[in-house]
Amino acid sequence: MYAGQPCVRDNLRGAHTATWRSIAAGGECFDGAARVEMVRVARAALSCALCAARRSALSPNNVDGQHDSDSFLDPAVVDVIHRLRTDPGRLTRRWFDAVMDGGVSPQAYVEIVAVVTSSVIVDTLHRSLGLALPDLPEPRAGAPRGEHNRDAVDGGAWLPILDAPPATADAGPPQVWNITRALGLVPSALALFFGTFRPHYALQNVPLAISQTQAEFVAARVSAINECFY
Amino acid sequence: MLLRASSQSEGRSVALESVTTDAVDPGIEHGRWLRDLTEAAIRADWTHLAQLRTQAAAVMGEQQVVDALTVAAAFNGITRVADATGVPLDPYTAATTADLRRSTGIERFAYGEKSARYD
Repeated sequence: MYAGQPCVRDNLRGAHTATWRSIAAGGECFDGAARVEMVRVARAALSCALCAARRSALSPNNVDGQHDSDSFLDPAVVDVIHRLRTDPGRLTRRWFDAVMDGGVSPQAYVEIVAVVTSSVIVDTLHRSLGLALPDLPEPRAGAPRGEHNRDAVDGGAWLPILDAPPATADAGPPQVWNITRALGLVPSALALFFGTFRPHYALQNVPLAISQTQAEFVAARVSAINECFY
Repeated sequence: MLLRASSQSEGRSVALESVTTDAVDPGIEHGRWLRDLTEAAIRADWTHLAQLRTQAAAVMGEQQVVDALTVAAAFNGITRVADATGVPLDPYTAATTADLRRSTGIERFAYGEKSARYD
């Protein structure tokens, strides 16, 4: 990955190569073919007419229809991928509950989120640097493992998250930030996402040619554009 | 939310409103380039971004441009993790950034506010 781009650091190249390999290798609820298909569907979502119409509406819930999709994935999974890729800032608890009622398990949902968001990072950086998107990885054979974290807890999110020492406002920054707990229901999903994310950023002493303040400014600006509260 | 803390530790005064208001100068080195690069990358304005990369590299250097886009790409992913899971603010962040969230308008992105607006 990132051939001909000398300013991309080696650890990041290696991490993204590992991301592609991990997606292709299969997970807990989906095999490698389904996970690679999630990346393909996420890319296709950017030209989906229904998603465009929803983006233009005051509320995405005002527009009904079917996504442009020829995928073998379940339509409920396709909807999660399209919404996550094209309109993440307007996801709500009610929408999430409807996804659960539609038959997507919390574990499957976490795995979808990890695969799609990891691919968003890889694809965004390629496009941002003027590079062609990397070819989809070749899926590897093997059945889903079916493992998840049975010790995940209710931490106030929409689904169970990684357990962590209790945090209080007057104790200073937490030992474990909630965002790093969010995918903790499925440890392999958590590892996939943060394996992709980690070479890009650090909370302190960011290992980049820009300062911590510059990095935080970029991060805050992205959060604002994507209408992210966290 | 970490912007204020990092700027304080580096002895800078950052205009926090610049996160949500284009007319406000961020007050950090190459702030306007960082903002424009980020904007084009996240809004997928690839043609404009190609021009910006060249122009910004002449001012900041290519490595800084690539690293700014590296951070932007990461947060294009992690914001989706937060939005898709409804993960709450950490108590420390919630307590120390209430005024900031109100003054910058970020408060309107809270999960409850979104539910009231979109459901």
